[in-house]
Amino acid sequence: MSQAKDVLLDPLFNKNPIGLQILGICSALAVTSKLETVVVMSLAVIFVICGSNASVSLIRSQIPSNIRIIVQITIIATLVIIVDQFLKAYAFGISKQLSVFVGLIITNCIVLGRAEGFAMKNPVGLSFLDGLGNGLGYSIVLLLVAFFRELLGAGKLLGYTILPSTSEGGWYLPNGLMLLPPSAFFIIGLLIWLLRTWKTDQIEKEN
Amino acid sequence: MSRDSTGKILSVAFLLCVVCSILVSTAAVLLSERQELNKAEEKRRNILLAAGLYQEGVPLEEQFRRIEARVVDLRSGRFSSDFDPASYDSRAAARNPETRFQIPPKQDLAGIKAHALYQDVYLVKENGRLQQVILPVYGKGLWSTMYGFISLDSDLSTVIGFAFYEHGETPGLGGEIDNPAWKGLWPGKRIYDDQGNTRIEVLKGAVDQQSPEAIHQVDGISGATLTVRGVGNLLQYWMGQNGYRKLLENLAEGVEL
Amino acid sequence: MMKPLRDLLDKLHPHFTEGGRLERLYPLYEALDTFTYTPGEVTGGAPHVRDAMDLKRVMITVVLALLPCFFMAMWNTGFQANSAYALGGGALEGGRAELLQLFGYGADPDSLFDNLLLGASWFVPVYLVTNIVGGMWEALFCIVRKHELNEGFLVTGSLFPLICPPTIPLWQVALGISFGVVIGKEIFGGTGKNFLNPALTGRAFLFFAYPAQISGDRVWTAVDGLSSATPLAVAAEGGQQAVVAAISWFDGFFGTIPGSMGETSALACLFGAAVLILSGIGSWRIMFSGLGGVIFFSTLFMLIGSETNPMFSLAPHWHLVLGGLAFGLVFMATDPVSGAMTEEGQYIYGFLIGTMCILIRVVNPAFPEGVMLAILFGNVFAPLIDQLVLKHHIKRRLRHVEG
Repeated sequence: MSQAKDVLLDPLFNKNPIGLQILGICSALAVTSKLETVVVMSLAVIFVICGSNASVSLIRSQIPSNIRIIVQITIIATLVIIVDQFLKAYAFGISKQLSVFVGLIITNCIVLGRAEGFAMKNPVGLSFLDGLGNGLGYSIVLLLVAFFRELLGAGKLLGYTILPSTSEGGWYLPNGLMLLPPSAFFIIGLLIWLLRTWKTDQIEKEN
Repeated sequence: MSRDSTGKILSVAFLLCVVCSILVSTAAVLLSERQELNKAEEKRRNILLAAGLYQEGVPLEEQFRRIEARVVDLRSGRFSSDFDPASYDSRAAARNPETRFQIPPKQDLAGIKAHALYQDVYLVKENGRLQQVILPVYGKGLWSTMYGFISLDSDLSTVIGFAFYEHGETPGLGGEIDNPAWKGLWPGKRIYDDQGNTRIEVLKGAVDQQSPEAIHQVDGISGATLTVRGVGNLLQYWMGQNGYRKLLENLAEGVEL
Repeated sequence: MMKPLRDLLDKLHPHFTEGGRLERLYPLYEALDTFTYTPGEVTGGAPHVRDAMDLKRVMITVVLALLPCFFMAMWNTGFQANSAYALGGGALEGGRAELLQLFGYGADPDSLFDNLLLGASWFVPVYLVTNIVGGMWEALFCIVRKHELNEGFLVTGSLFPLICPPTIPLWQVALGISFGVVIGKEIFGGTGKNFLNPALTGRAFLFFAYPAQISGDRVWTAVDGLSSATPLAVAAEGGQQAVVAAISWFDGFFGTIPGSMGETSALACLFGAAVLILSGIGSWRIMFSGLGGVIFFSTLFMLIGSETNPMFSLAPHWHLVLGGLAFGLVFMATDPVSGAMTEEGQYIYGFLIGTMCILIRVVNPAFPEGVMLAILFGNVFAPLIDQLVLKHHIKRRLRHVEG
C-alpha cells in the first residue's frame, strides 16, 4: 500500500513535474492569468493523464514496441478531443478563453512522459494513481501561479474583487506585467527556488 | 503471433484507430448541438450588451425576442434574403474572394484590407417601430483586430452603446477600451452632423465640454493613443459609404427594404 | 583626524569575527571598514596581476563619470517644471512648495538655483528610496550567503534613479529596484554573476507592470496633469518635421527636453564616455560599434522612407541626442558584467544593440523609445556572442597547429 501512496504523493512536491522536471511550461504560461481557467485546465489535464495512463497500462502487453509512441499519442489525442468537445458544449466561456491550449494538452510532455515512463511498465491501478498524482502536481503549481497572477494583475480571485482597483475607484493599482505570460516564468522560477530551498536534494549537481 | 510481427502491428493500429475514431466522432456528434447553441448565444449576448439591453438571469431567447436579425448588402444598403441571419458568418465571407469587398488601400481606415459584402445587422423594434439598430464593426487597434457592436438610436446617429467583445490590446493600456468608465462616455454621442458628415472621433486627450464639437468627440485613453485612434478610424470607416451609410440612409428615409 | 574612526572599527572587529556576538552581520562591518579604508589583506597566492584598480575604484569612477548626469537630472527636472509653470501660469502647491519656499524657491526657469532646488525635490527622494531599498536587499543576501557586501550596488543605485521619470511614485521605485536587484542579480549569485543589467531589469519590470506611470505623455514633466510628449513620441507622431518644429538639435544635445531624469543630455553622457574610456573601465568598442549600428540603421530607414510611419524620417544625428540612447550606450551597454567580454564580441554586441534600438524605435508602433529593451536583448546574447568568438579563435589556432 505504501507504494501506491508514494506513487500518488511523490509528484506533488518531491518529484513535481513542473518544479523538478520543468515540463508542461507552455500551458503554465498561457492559461494562468485567471484562476478560473486554471481550475478547468487542471481538471482537463487530470482527466487526460489518468485516462491515458490507465488505458496505456491496460493494453501495455499488446502494444508492439516499435509503434508504442504512436499508440500512446493516439490515445492521448482521443482523450483530449473528447475533453475539448465536452468543454465547448458545457463550459463555453472558459473553453473560449483556453482556446487552443486544451488541444495542446496533446503535446504536454507530462502526459506522454507518464504514459511512456510509467504506464508501459506498471499495472492499471498504479498507473491511474500515478496519473492522478502527476496531474495534481501540475495543478498545484498552476493554481499557485494563477493565484498570484490574478490577485496582483487584476486584484481579483476567481473573478471576485479582493483588492479594489483604481479604475473602479479603489486603491490598488493592478500590475500589468502579471497579465502578460512572461510573468508566469518569474513566478514559476521563484516557486522552484522556494521548493529547492525546502527540499535541497532537488538541486542539480553542477557539471 | 509475436508482439512485434507486422501482422500484430497492423492489427493493433487498426483496432486502436477504430476505437478512437468511434469515441471521437460519438462525442462530436452528441455534443455538436449544444456547441452550436453556445456559439449563437455568445453572439446574442454580445449584441445585447452593446445595445444596453442585457439582463442577467433572463433567458437569452426571451431577451432576444424584440430583436430582428437581418443580412444587409452593403453595396445597396438593402436587406438580402439570400442568407439566413442566424447562420451567416461574415468573418468566413470576408476570407472568401467571391463574397468579399477588397477595400482600396487609400480608403482602408479600419486597416482590415477586405470585408464581407454582406453583414448581419440587428434591429430592435417595439410595436413595429424601429428603436435601435445594432451594427457589427471591427478594425485594427495597436496589436490586434478589435471586434465589437455599436448600437444607434432611432435617429440613426446617436450612440446608445458601443462595446468590443474580442481584442488583444495591451492589458492596462489599450485594454482599457473594456473599462466601463470609458464605454460610458459613448452613449449620447452623435456619429453624423446635421449635414450628414461622419464626424465621430476619439481625441488624444480630454474633450472640451464647452466646444460645439463635443457631441461628436470622445476622450482618449492615456497611454493608449494608437488603440483609441484605431477605434475612431474603424467607426469612420464603418459609418461611411463603404460601410453602413447606405443602409442608415435607407432606414431614415423609410424606404421599404 | 581619521584615527578615532579606525580605533572604533578595530575595537568593534572582534564582535563580528567568528564566535563574536554579531558574527552574522560581518558583511556590514566589512563594507563600512573597506569603504573607508583600504583592505588590510593582500592577495596571498603567487600569480596575481598588479593593478591599482579594484572593484571599489571601478565603481567609484563610474559614479564620478555620472556626476554631470546627476546635475542634469536635477537641473532639467526643475527647468522643465519651472518653464511649464512660467508658460501655463500655474504654480507649485502643497507641502513641497512650502518646504522649498523655506530655502527661497522662486519658480524662475532662468534661475540655476530654483531649477536645481525643485529638481532635487523630485530626484533626491527617488535616489534615496532606490539606495535604501536596494541596499537593504543587497545586505540581506550578503548576510544569508555570508558574502562581503561589495560596491556593485553603488552603480546600480546611481543608474536606476537616472532612468526614471520624475513623477514616478516612490513605491514603484522601491518595487522596481527590488525586482532589479533580486531577479536581475541576486538570483544568479550577486555582483559579477548576473547576465542582465540590474537597473534596466528593474526599469523593464516597471515599464510592463505600470505602463501608465512610466510611458505616455504625462509623466515626463513634474507638473500635475501636464501633457508633455518626449521628442521621440513627437517624432513617432509627426516625423522629423514635427521634432524640428518643437525643439532645436542643441536642445536635445544639452538635454533641455522632457524625458527620464538623468538621460536627456547627450553632452553629459559624452563627458561620462570620456571618463570611462580614459580610465579603461567602459569599452570603447561597445560604444563605437553601438554608434555605428545606430547611424547605419537609421540612415537605412531614412533612405527607404515610409508613407505611413513618420519615424522613418528621423535622421541619425537626431536619434543620437533624443531619448536614452546616449545614456544607454555609455553607461548601460558597457556594463562589464552583463556585456560581451571578448574584443570581437564587443563589436558585435554593440552593433546589435545599436541596430536593435533603432529597429524598436522605428518599426514597433507602441514604443517610441527602444534603448532599454535593445540593451537587455544584447545582454541576453552577450554570452552566446563570446562563446562563438572563442570557438572561432580556437578553431583558427588549431589550424595553425595542425597545418
